[in-house]
Amino acid sequence: MITRRNRFMLIGISLLLLSVLTLNNLISGDWSAISGGRETLVDFWQDDLWPPDWTLLEARSYPVCESSIGFFCSKVYIGMIETMKMAFVATVFGFIGSMLLSPLAAKNLVPAAISYPVRIFMAATRSLPSLIWAVIFIAIVGLGPLAGVLAMTFYTIGYLGKLQYEEMEGMRSEPLEASRAMGLSRSEITLLVVIPETSNGLLSQLLFMFEYNFRHGTVLGLVGAGGIGYYLSYYIGLFMYQQVMTFILVIFVVVVLLDLFSMFVRSFVNEEKDVKRPTWSSIFLSPNSSLEIHHKKEK
Amino acid sequence: MDHGETEFLLKLEQLSIGYEEPLISNISLTMYPGEIVSIIGASGIGKTTLLRTIAGLVAPLDGRVNLNVKKRGGLGYIPQKLGLVHHASVNHNVGLGARAGTSFREEPMTWIGRRNERVEIAIEQMGLTEKRNEPVRRLSGGQQKRVATARTLAQRPQILLADEFLSELDEDNIQIVVESVIDYVKESGAAMILVEHNTERAIQLSNRIFRLIEGELVQQFIQGGEEE
Repeated sequence: MITRRNRFMLIGISLLLLSVLTLNNLISGDWSAISGGRETLVDFWQDDLWPPDWTLLEARSYPVCESSIGFFCSKVYIGMIETMKMAFVATVFGFIGSMLLSPLAAKNLVPAAISYPVRIFMAATRSLPSLIWAVIFIAIVGLGPLAGVLAMTFYTIGYLGKLQYEEMEGMRSEPLEASRAMGLSRSEITLLVVIPETSNGLLSQLLFMFEYNFRHGTVLGLVGAGGIGYYLSYYIGLFMYQQVMTFILVIFVVVVLLDLFSMFVRSFVNEEKDVKRPTWSSIFLSPNSSLEIHHKKEK
Repeated sequence: MDHGETEFLLKLEQLSIGYEEPLISNISLTMYPGEIVSIIGASGIGKTTLLRTIAGLVAPLDGRVNLNVKKRGGLGYIPQKLGLVHHASVNHNVGLGARAGTSFREEPMTWIGRRNERVEIAIEQMGLTEKRNEPVRRLSGGQQKRVATARTLAQRPQILLADEFLSELDEDNIQIVVESVIDYVKESGAAMILVEHNTERAIQLSNRIFRLIEGELVQQFIQGGEEE
């Protein structure tokens, strides 16, 4: 007899096997591309990518830098800040849009006659990647950050909205039932019961979306929507990979910082905080080292 | 008990409840102001479904639920798991009851004041003043039950449905909760249906007790009458 554990293992192995067979089908059984791939990667790394061009962190020669810290006039900083601004504005606008729509898409909050049309609208905004939205908005408002912001806002409404209504659908039913029985209106239930109860998930998704938009902001530059992506596209076009590597490292650092920020913000609303709020040492160090520091502090 | 010309608050007429298949059939019950009815019976037999049907959360399979109470705030429901908003404060949760129980349309100028007053009184009555700004998730089980009670007291419903809300409470908490709720029911002329496991406590609190046996609601006890 197949035990529950073995059944899961069997399903896992079958899925893996199916994936390998599908990949084999996709590449028409020609696995030769992989052979020699490692050497190519090492060559590419040694000859083109490493070391990164750190001069991009210094002030540009033109226009003249008015700050005493040269980094604030560097291409990296200027590109990064512009992308950050685009991601910030798009996330806020997108969040407002999705927060207005997602309670109307959650099946446990509204009848199907309302939830399905709203879901279809959200799916429509989500089905076009932000890159395609950017192309559309460039045609409407021209090249630059505005097109990028609008593209990311539209995509955020569909993408974040889906995460939000699924979060709302997954909430415990008792608070909803108690407030419905009391006679509270739909808008009161949404504002005063659903949003506070799902706040941890909503906050997590919002911060994830900001990080997502920042990463995507780097791609939007490729089609002329401005930000760090503009520089990436410029250097990729000129095959200047050491400069590209610098930007990739900067993006990586910012994404890690955003993740730490998200962890910190969510610690105010999640359950773990009630037991023990994470310290900075617990984020950076292993559990044992962090515990040692904690004990030393207590002593 | 003779209720004379008194208007009923709740009348169940030939009610059948359940999900697809009936759990309990032919329930007939009329409740009047000031009455407390307890429902006892084994687990999984349909007690919670009965309360949820009366609260309008589940459609009856047959028969009717007649509620003679205000549509907004007239019915209070304390589910078994209390139905509190865990990430919100005690104040916020009790405020939900006060909001449901007061009407902006009736007295718009004093609405916020009346709401706040109800919250203050209910929180103080339940001994939660020091915890008022704490998120509910940080409170103990007993404190959470007091929050759910405070929410109901702030709402001041005409009919209150409570699903095993006294179980797992220590004696001190039971004393606080029971006294406040019973006082409220008696003073305001509300009615209450209590799902209770403890038969002794049910006898102590209720005017009438019904037991669920083989899909039927059977009256077993009337205060001042004989136990069947």
